[in-house]
Amino acid sequence: MQTRPLVRADLVTGAILAAFGLAAVAESYGMPRLAERNINPWTAPGVVPGMLGVIIALLGVILASRSLFAGAFHPQPVALSPEDAAEQRAGRWRLGMCSLLCFIYAVVLVGHIPFWLATGIFVLIFIIVFEWQANDEQPVRMRKLAFAGGIALLAATIIPYAFQNLFLVRLP
Amino acid sequence: MLDGLFHLFSAFETFANFNSLFNVLWATFVGIVIGALPGLTATMGVALLTTLTYKMGPDQAILSLICCYVGAIYGGSRSAILLNIPGTPANAATTLDGFPLAKQGKAGEAMGLATSSSMIGTFIGVLFLAIIAPALAEIALDFQSYEYFWLAIFGVVIAGQMCSFDDALKGWIAGFLGLFIAMIGQEGIHAEERFTFGWSELGGGIALIPALVGTFGVAEVLTVMRNRAAELATNVVDRVMPRWSDLWRYRRTVIRSGLIGTTVGIIPGVGEDIGAWISYAAARRASKEKELFTKGSREGLCAAETGNNAAIPGAIIPALTLAVPGSAPAAVLLAAMLIHGLRPGPMIMIESPDFVFQVVWMVVLATLAMGILGLALVRPLLYILRVPRERLMPVVFVLCMIGPYAITERVFDIYVTLFFGVLGFILREMKYPMAPLVLGLILGDILDKNLRRALVLSDGDFSPFFIRPISAVLWVTTALVIIAAIPAVQRATAKLMGWDKA
Repeated sequence: MQTRPLVRADLVTGAILAAFGLAAVAESYGMPRLAERNINPWTAPGVVPGMLGVIIALLGVILASRSLFAGAFHPQPVALSPEDAAEQRAGRWRLGMCSLLCFIYAVVLVGHIPFWLATGIFVLIFIIVFEWQANDEQPVRMRKLAFAGGIALLAATIIPYAFQNLFLVRLP
Repeated sequence: MLDGLFHLFSAFETFANFNSLFNVLWATFVGIVIGALPGLTATMGVALLTTLTYKMGPDQAILSLICCYVGAIYGGSRSAILLNIPGTPANAATTLDGFPLAKQGKAGEAMGLATSSSMIGTFIGVLFLAIIAPALAEIALDFQSYEYFWLAIFGVVIAGQMCSFDDALKGWIAGFLGLFIAMIGQEGIHAEERFTFGWSELGGGIALIPALVGTFGVAEVLTVMRNRAAELATNVVDRVMPRWSDLWRYRRTVIRSGLIGTTVGIIPGVGEDIGAWISYAAARRASKEKELFTKGSREGLCAAETGNNAAIPGAIIPALTLAVPGSAPAAVLLAAMLIHGLRPGPMIMIESPDFVFQVVWMVVLATLAMGILGLALVRPLLYILRVPRERLMPVVFVLCMIGPYAITERVFDIYVTLFFGVLGFILREMKYPMAPLVLGLILGDILDKNLRRALVLSDGDFSPFFIRPISAVLWVTTALVIIAAIPAVQRATAKLMGWDKA
């Protein structure tokens, strides 16, 4: 049997979508019918979301069934060369670190400390974390730090200035 | 006819001033840079620029956005040729022949051909924009709720089919999820809140700009940081000016690709990337030098770049006349028009006919600026491409956060952007196309109001949905697209036509 790529992920997604669609139908069914306002029942707020819920559930079922027939429960062959495996690990590290830094900036820093400061800290840390090499010599490291500091300073000055003074936005 | 010419000339006067030309130059340059940098897409560029042009007058703001749009789709060819990474999804087909040409030491020639092909493509598209938009607006006047309902379904189904080459199901799921997300918030007939779960911020619904910046901006930042860093194919650039003999030699390919690109652009939500791929496939099929394709074919490069740029005016046509965008960047453009108080839709030729022709001139000016800047700034653009992603992406992320916030000044929109960034990244990793999702977000309101209105008009009778002429065309096409995507039907058709042997 030929196994499609992502077949197991598709099975899980299909099941989630089916459940999501059914939940949407239930929620739509429970929406007010506004009978007390004597509205036409065809204009009830739940009509369209209910219909979309049915379609999404149906598409989810089709996706899940297709994955089952394509061998979702069969062993999934993974054949990566050592270089590719190392690159995959490095890619995951970069993704994880980038997600963490972005989350901290958007949720923890912005709105809780001055925007210019949040931006400066984020840009500085981001560049340092991703440019840091353990085997860098001291002058190279200092040059990288200087670049990171310069870009962070520019970002923390120009972006807030442009939005606050030129576009008259009250910054978070 | 004379009336159209009058509007065309009077529209030109709007931009015959220094201020407009200045906006054309900087916005096109910004667009080219955004397009050239991997990780910054045209959609994201236009969305971010929408926030920066918020305080401008409507004509200058839309002019700047269109220039950025045209510039970005073209700019993506630079990284496609020099880095083997499409700067925007629209330039994916360009990498196939652009990068091999650069490896052969013909990067300058490839960039010159990409520039001239992009210009010709946009001019072909703009010609159709001037001709088709007024005619389509007139046809759209006959659209009633039944037709709008089918248009919304047709849009997500065909976009889902065309944007996901080998898996239409995932495209449709993305499209219907987009339609569903548009249901969140206060509905437009009785002002009842749906799916807000007592969260007051959700009452206004999911705004398009944060969703788009998240899907195309934040998701792209995550993708770029995850992927391996790219390296320039060459630091030396040969002759950049395109040879007329080359263009003349490939005139049939260029014209065919221009027509294909424009047509694909008009189809709701399908956009520039598909325009380029179909043009490329058609050029390969018709070429006398098939063996050169993917090995550095000038013809293939011309086809891809003409196809994607021709799709830009194509995508603007339905955005202007039906308020249904032809591509993701056109969706942002549509949102920007609404933000600036313009009312795209069937009434546009009655309410503001000048605006349609102003858009024609905007695209023409953007194309001219694109050509001039593209050829003149080869070396500065090479320098920009050398900026490491580690230094660029944090700044891009900051702009992705503050841009959507600037429109409504709600911190909630920052969280919406972040949420859509993560959702977009996950869906993309699982091979769900993003364009149908975005189209669904826009068409959701149209679907919701028009289905309910139509059911009231017909008193619950479903037959008008199927027997009215335009409705019939739309639902039959939708049904055929769905049937044609079923693997068993595809196999049977291939067997019947003898394609399976080929």
